[in-house]
Amino acid sequence: MGTPLTANSVLVEAPPLAERSRSKVGAVWKTFLSSRYGPIGLTLLLIVLIPAILAPLLAPADPFDLGAKPFLHPGADGHPLGTDHLGRDVLSQILYGARISLLVGLVAAGIAAVIGLVVGSVSGFFGGWIDIVLSRVTDMFLIIPTFFLIIIVVATLGNGIIYVMVLIGLTSWPGNARLMRAQALTLRERTFVQALNALGEGKLRILMRHIIPNGIQPVIANSTLLIAAGVLTEAALSFLGLGDANKASWGRMIYEGRTSILTAWWPSIFPGIAMIITVMAFYLIGDGLAYVLSPKSRRAGG
Amino acid sequence: MGSYIGRQLLTIIPTVLLSIVVNFALLHAAPGDPARIYAGMDTATEEQIAAMREDLGLDDPLLVQFVNYVEQLLHGNLGMSLAFRQPVYDLIMERLPATLLLTVTSAVIAFVCGTLLGAVAARKQDSATDIGLSFLNYVFFSIPAFWLGLLLILVFASKLGWFPTSGMRTARADYTGLRDWLDVAHHMVLPSMTLILVQVPIFYRITRSSVAQQQREDYVTTFRATGIPEGRIFRRYALRNAILPTVTVFGLNLGYVVTGAALVEIIFAWPGIGRLALDAVYKRDYPLLLGVYLMLAVSISLAILLTDVVYALLDPRIRLR
Repeated sequence: MGTPLTANSVLVEAPPLAERSRSKVGAVWKTFLSSRYGPIGLTLLLIVLIPAILAPLLAPADPFDLGAKPFLHPGADGHPLGTDHLGRDVLSQILYGARISLLVGLVAAGIAAVIGLVVGSVSGFFGGWIDIVLSRVTDMFLIIPTFFLIIIVVATLGNGIIYVMVLIGLTSWPGNARLMRAQALTLRERTFVQALNALGEGKLRILMRHIIPNGIQPVIANSTLLIAAGVLTEAALSFLGLGDANKASWGRMIYEGRTSILTAWWPSIFPGIAMIITVMAFYLIGDGLAYVLSPKSRRAGG
Repeated sequence: MGSYIGRQLLTIIPTVLLSIVVNFALLHAAPGDPARIYAGMDTATEEQIAAMREDLGLDDPLLVQFVNYVEQLLHGNLGMSLAFRQPVYDLIMERLPATLLLTVTSAVIAFVCGTLLGAVAARKQDSATDIGLSFLNYVFFSIPAFWLGLLLILVFASKLGWFPTSGMRTARADYTGLRDWLDVAHHMVLPSMTLILVQVPIFYRITRSSVAQQQREDYVTTFRATGIPEGRIFRRYALRNAILPTVTVFGLNLGYVVTGAALVEIIFAWPGIGRLALDAVYKRDYPLLLGVYLMLAVSISLAILLTDVVYALLDPRIRLR
């Protein structure tokens, strides 16, 4: 043993995660594409995502423009999906609404991922009373009726899009925390973590550089489900008139179209279909990712 | 068993306490001070507000206020509704039966249907039945309940005229006895159908994966080797073990049902708690809103406790642990 044993020399034997994962990305991608639902989900996501990005180019009209006649049938007068009760173009509203739905879903799931990763990994890695307290808190958040909590907070404090995103994120992390805790519990017993511990590597450093990066996969799979849930929650809030009034939103389109649904179905039915496609895309991708992580696919793909 | 329930209560009590704290905090965070809210918003005179402040003890330290608040709650006093001018407790109790009827009926039917379909799919994994059911499961999993409700109204109430569009009873009909029951049942078909369709996937999903997992277990392989018929292994052993997780999901699902039911109640003008809560949102009736929330938090906690106990009764291994 010529050179002094350092944390780095241990890691040379177990290649750093970044390198291993780079060589693994191709394999993961192949397994994902070989799953039954992953590719369908990805296709559906592209069907929603590309038009959302290109909304200004694709939209036949400004989504808030009241210029056209109200309740034009789909296909009439340059309005492929018709117009609503105020003469706004339904297709344009759906395209811009997709941006809001995706934004809310992604930001909310991102917040939930960060909180879940931190709470779960600290809980599992440190154990003891920290674990007991954090697990109890997680269980509590799992039980409380979160949607009503969001409704109450939005009704009391205001309904800006930021509030909505943050609130959904703040109430949807417990699942992530549980997954990450389970990961941290097994990871902390692994040899390379034990070695780092023995070498006096800082606890926080081990947590951030090794526990979280190596245990993050189930949280990523779960996050795609949370994006879907976030999209649905935002729509439900908007449907109650509690969404951001200044943004095009699928939920609000359904809400505004519902009173006239018996005479004109299109302003409220089309945004619902867009929502189903979006939500389904994320559920399918989530299951595709879960397949990648399952032992079944590892046996098959390597 | 007793100590098991005791341990579960240790999780439930802090949760209820947390809900009370959140409730208390929100009441104080609401725009305007609580005295103004309780005294009746803008119409109250300054003297009335001062009297109300005194009355509510709002000049006391926050901790004293909180203790008083909890004491009030223990007496079943949830405050007065601003919009209805009635005690919140009475309003909730008046609406509770309608919500329970809708949510419990739909949750039970969804549980039975979802579990059966999930078992069928798992039994014939990767068959056309399985793939078809799983695809439908994804679709209904993705449908927002409120939109599905609108669609059902559009098709079955408006176009086909089979069911009424809204309400719980035919207005001014004043039916009694069996006729009244049938009338309520007729009104209940579409809202409960909506809630059933969005809940079935939850039970389908968990049952399918749980049954599939059981069929890979060693004991099933052993039974096969000893020549027990496949159908018997499935019904007597794999299915029974696989049902357990669905019981837990049934409990956790209740929170979701109440939420979904609130939106569905609005669409179908069903006179339940959900609609009451959303009326309270629109009218900024904070005491009513917070009262409903607290009631929900407590009842969901109790429902979860109850399902945990049922789970323990079904699975002796849990009691032994």
